[in-house]
Amino acid sequence: MRGSYKLAGDDELVKASLDGDKLAFGEIVNRYRKMVARTVKGMLGDSVYSEDIGQEVFINLYNSLPGFRGEAKLSTYIQRIAVNLTLNEIKRRKRFFSMFTHKGNEEMSEVEIADSGTEEKVEAKEIVNKALSSLDPKFRIVVTMRLLQGYSTKETAEILNLPLGTVLSRLSRAQEQLKEKLKML
Amino acid sequence: MNPFELKKIMIQSLDPGTDTEEIAAKLDNEGISYDFRDGFTERVTGRLSSEPLAVNRDMEFRRNLNLIFYRIAITGIAAIVILMLSIFIAQDSFSFDSFLGLGDSVDESIVYLLTGN
Repeated sequence: MRGSYKLAGDDELVKASLDGDKLAFGEIVNRYRKMVARTVKGMLGDSVYSEDIGQEVFINLYNSLPGFRGEAKLSTYIQRIAVNLTLNEIKRRKRFFSMFTHKGNEEMSEVEIADSGTEEKVEAKEIVNKALSSLDPKFRIVVTMRLLQGYSTKETAEILNLPLGTVLSRLSRAQEQLKEKLKML
Repeated sequence: MNPFELKKIMIQSLDPGTDTEEIAAKLDNEGISYDFRDGFTERVTGRLSSEPLAVNRDMEFRRNLNLIFYRIAITGIAAIVILMLSIFIAQDSFSFDSFLGLGDSVDESIVYLLTGN
């Protein structure tokens, strides 16, 4: 099996990675990189720093694989790491910027539209990025989970480790905030 | 997708009953997709290969720091012992005054220096 993991299941990939097979872990990275990119870039913006956080997510995953008992799906486990690292980065940036300014929501200063495409597509992505960046982090994360990842409310609650009621309340408040922000775009 | 439709979908995605999977797929098809730069996987696996080296370097640094600490501590203790011995030899006691360098004769010389008598 070594060398070809395209058709392997997640359990098999985890097992092989634990045995030190870097190719198996590479397949995990390939399989979930877009999912992680949606969370990290949706939350932090399309900047070079997002790539570093993306790498950290998979390094953390690799280091924590021995503790992965398979109770949750691998995708959920990776998503949790991505969410935690992204929220930590937002807090870190907030602390850093608060040393220089009195504004609290400056962590999304860098929003680049790196993808090439038609003007309409670029404009659409810009709207999504700007709308997301203008939201409070606690609302931004639920919007990212719903809009970009396509998770149900239950899945969102599971990944964010929040009660369902809290997620529903945040969705409602995020919707109100998003409506306001989108009016200005 | 025009901006009006996009905004509508974005707001709609936050309704609890909405099929968000379909919305996410639609956005993906419209080019609103996210990915890391080419070679991302190679960079991650490359970092994993160099990670044990970094850990070793970290351990070596800590070991060296411990060694330096012990050397400084031992030197410091030796200096204190020598200082105490020299005080004892010079003052014949371990009193507080002798530690401060104040012998009986010192008081008189200070008075002499201050008053001139």
